[in-house]
Amino acid sequence: MRLPLKMWLYCRAGRWLPFLRIRPPEIDRSAVFVLRPGRNSLLKWEKRPSGDVLLTVPQNERAGFVTRTLARWMNVPPERYVELDEVGGFVWELCDGNHTIDAIVQKTSRQFKMNRREAEVSVTMFLQMLHERNFIGFYRKVKKA
Amino acid sequence: MRASHSERSAPMEAEARTVVGWQGVRCVLPADWNVSGFSMDRDNGYLRVDAPGTGSLVVQVRWWNVARSRPRTLYDLAAAVVRRWSRRPEPPVIAPDLRANLDNLLKETARKSRRSHTDFRADIKPERSEGERTAINFTWVGNGRGQGKIWYCATCHRVLIAQVVGAPQEAGAIGAVASQLMGSLRCHGESGYDLWALYDLQIQIPEDFRLDTQKLLSGYLHLEFARGGERIFLDRWGLANLTLKRFTCDEWLRNHAAVNLSRYTRTLRDDLNGHEIAYYEGVLAPAGKLRAFYEARGSLRRFPDAYAGGIWNCDVSNRIYAIQAFLRACDLDVWKGSVQRCVCH
Repeated sequence: MRLPLKMWLYCRAGRWLPFLRIRPPEIDRSAVFVLRPGRNSLLKWEKRPSGDVLLTVPQNERAGFVTRTLARWMNVPPERYVELDEVGGFVWELCDGNHTIDAIVQKTSRQFKMNRREAEVSVTMFLQMLHERNFIGFYRKVKKA
Repeated sequence: MRASHSERSAPMEAEARTVVGWQGVRCVLPADWNVSGFSMDRDNGYLRVDAPGTGSLVVQVRWWNVARSRPRTLYDLAAAVVRRWSRRPEPPVIAPDLRANLDNLLKETARKSRRSHTDFRADIKPERSEGERTAINFTWVGNGRGQGKIWYCATCHRVLIAQVVGAPQEAGAIGAVASQLMGSLRCHGESGYDLWALYDLQIQIPEDFRLDTQKLLSGYLHLEFARGGERIFLDRWGLANLTLKRFTCDEWLRNHAAVNLSRYTRTLRDDLNGHEIAYYEGVLAPAGKLRAFYEARGSLRRFPDAYAGGIWNCDVSNRIYAIQAFLRACDLDVWKGSVQRCVCH
């Protein structure tokens, strides 16, 4: 997805040069809830019988030659593992690019008998954390002209 | 008295409505509406409840107690002290000018509309008496739309302004929510108990207990009430099925109890709210008394000498509830009363 110029500036410069006072544009709450989280295709994952999900994250996949050589020399494992609990695993399974955040919140609150607000807060925080680690990305469904 | 039938049956009809109760103010709203803002002060406070998801409707309730207005002059302050000291009765409360208060609110709203270059219109109905209340209904249209009511209650001496606010084009939805709100809104508790209801929790606590601390996290609620040195702690944990895979209810309470539970007698009770409650009771040990003294910030008024605590798992709502109390031995029924009035599903 192509970023608007202001957002691009924020991502590139505003974060490191605060005196430029480039703020990220305010996003409407309703616009966020229609986004569809999708999993990073580089990640492998498996669901365990207990409901937990084990993510296998490749470490040196996109690293350059020097980093890869250093990693091999220092015996850095090529993968790392992240374990998600039952609730996290449930949300992770729904991050397939077809479910909107709103739908995930609804399903989570129904599955675990959580209050809608509680589910909203937990799910959005969890998705934000997954996004920061590049485990998921967000899609927006665009109507065809 | 137990919670009224209409309130107890609320979660059963979860699709239809939500009960909200805070500082004696309570109302019934459509399903999935949730508290998003509140004040800790009982005499002068506010409450804000938001529509679920992407809805823009908001319910705002603001109240203040006319009988407990802050002393404005040194004379007021001295008079109050002398009156209390000489045990003279409080002076009669003068009914406030509702119209003037409403005008102030509307003036403020009009100013906001003017800032966004929008015309402002308000329609104020004549004042009328509704039993113990004197009330004025009003509607306004500006940069938003609002429908509400202001009233003065002669029983609790509170002036309360409640309104439903939304976008100008949402007149129908505002009207529907406003009629539900106004029909159910109350400004004081019944039979000496206040209803505290938010995020699917409903509990009634004696009205002389004041909310002291709150923690409203996703999946965990903690409310702490105080009356002098006496305390009631309410904890609620979500996702009970996951927690109970690792711990039993007893172990969970032992980990989170306000005192060392090994000193207290444990019994199982199922006569209070239909759940099996692991109940602990006993005279406060010296360490517990020290803790109570610390919690009461050194006050010796109503100093507690007994502990009562119980935990239960509600399968229907998938939550664990724990209610603990530091009380005087003669007041231990307060714990029982609160547990009986706690609606967990």
